[in-house]
Amino acid sequence: MVRPSRVDRFEEESIVLSTVDYGEADRIVTLFTLGRGRLSAFAAGARKSKRRFPGALEPATHLKARLVERRGDTYRLDAADVVTSFHHLRSDLGRIARSLYALELCRELTRDHEAHPQLFNSLLEYLALLDRAQAGPTSLIAFELDTLARAGFRPQFAPCLHCHRETGPRPVFDPDVGGAICGNCAPQFPYAVPAEGRVVDALSRLQEGERTPFEAAIRSGARDLLNLFIEHHLGRRLKSVDFLNQVGVD
Amino acid sequence: MTPDALNRLVAQLSKLPGIGEKTAQRLAFHVLRSPPEYARNLSQALLEVVDKVRLCPRCFSLTDGPTDQPCGFCTDTRRDDKVLCVVEGIADELAIERTREFRGRYHVLHGVLSPLEGVGPDQLRIRELLVRLESGAIDEVIVATNPDVEGEATALYLVRLLRPMGIKVTRLAQGIPMGGDLEYADQATLARALAARRDLEPRVRVR
Ligand SMILES: [Zn+2]
Ligand SMILES: [Zn+2]
Repeated sequence: MVRPSRVDRFEEESIVLSTVDYGEADRIVTLFTLGRGRLSAFAAGARKSKRRFPGALEPATHLKARLVERRGDTYRLDAADVVTSFHHLRSDLGRIARSLYALELCRELTRDHEAHPQLFNSLLEYLALLDRAQAGPTSLIAFELDTLARAGFRPQFAPCLHCHRETGPRPVFDPDVGGAICGNCAPQFPYAVPAEGRVVDALSRLQEGERTPFEAAIRSGARDLLNLFIEHHLGRRLKSVDFLNQVGVD
Repeated sequence: MTPDALNRLVAQLSKLPGIGEKTAQRLAFHVLRSPPEYARNLSQALLEVVDKVRLCPRCFSLTDGPTDQPCGFCTDTRRDDKVLCVVEGIADELAIERTREFRGRYHVLHGVLSPLEGVGPDQLRIRELLVRLESGAIDEVIVATNPDVEGEATALYLVRLLRPMGIKVTRLAQGIPMGGDLEYADQATLARALAARRDLEPRVRVR
């Protein structure tokens, strides 16, 4: 059946995930919309005229986007009303780095036109925490675990994926199998990497909802495992991971 | 049939930003109708620009001076050696120069930190900036990157590198544009403008 060619106008609560300049005057903005998931829209004149979308097209901005659908897959951003700009987080390098990492994670884990209202709300909540300087490094790990689970990639840290017993002091981590394996079962998983028992333990407790800040060594071990897991499932490394390293933030 | 030479010219012209096939054709016909000198001068100007214009080895602005020689901004003895303005690109440098308010030196980064595009400090002229600052002659660095997330990230990164060197780091003020309208200003701009509000001149007592 041929879909009738019509122009569909709608308004969506959105978070700006990223933008790229297009030509001399325009910009393509990737939005995480509440009702339609991720979508990219053409913002005509966004670079030339600051009046057209004043302060609205910066990453992390929460806005009400007025969009026009043009023949199926392309959208035009007609207007944007800022709900919250989260500009306080821009005063600190670490918070900028974490916010961009969270945005990139959401951009890469979601697909166009697939609504994820829970993920949308958890991103919004995380950005608000960052904006109020209330989100430390452990909050980012908690956000990642939450995001991965909601996107259908929940890593398992307990119990052992193979024998379902405790992972113990010398576990290994296999991103392909989906998580941690105890020392006894480890020989059967040749592609798994060694992990520290206390790191796997801490991640499992964070996943269960415990909110005790990790110490630096645990955070660094957790970051390694999560980077490995995310890279394996996305097929590429998140670009903002390098930035977290460059600015010395975890 | 269109001559091949004309097609080639149209193809080259349409590679220019903002020039479509139609405009490229119009420009090509204009060149054809003009006296032959025009085309010769144009082609010579194009060649000269690629052969002669290069980056200044000190501030990374554009220069057409002798190789390995610093540019006019760097060598002008009337400029102040103690203040250095750091900009993202050449266009920003020219914009600041047009104000005629700044008489210090420049340093062009050729980009900004762009975490989502994978542009890190090593892709910018930051190492060269640090080398320049090690001489100790510079008292103040004005960071004039754009007030967007990437520009802010770059500015904060520079602050972190330069403060421990004992250099005063300042940032261009942000706020309501001149002739602007409060009602139409966005949240972030208005909040910054409020935070950076200033005292008005002390009132002069009238007798
Ligand atoms: Zn086991
Ligand atoms: Zn120079």
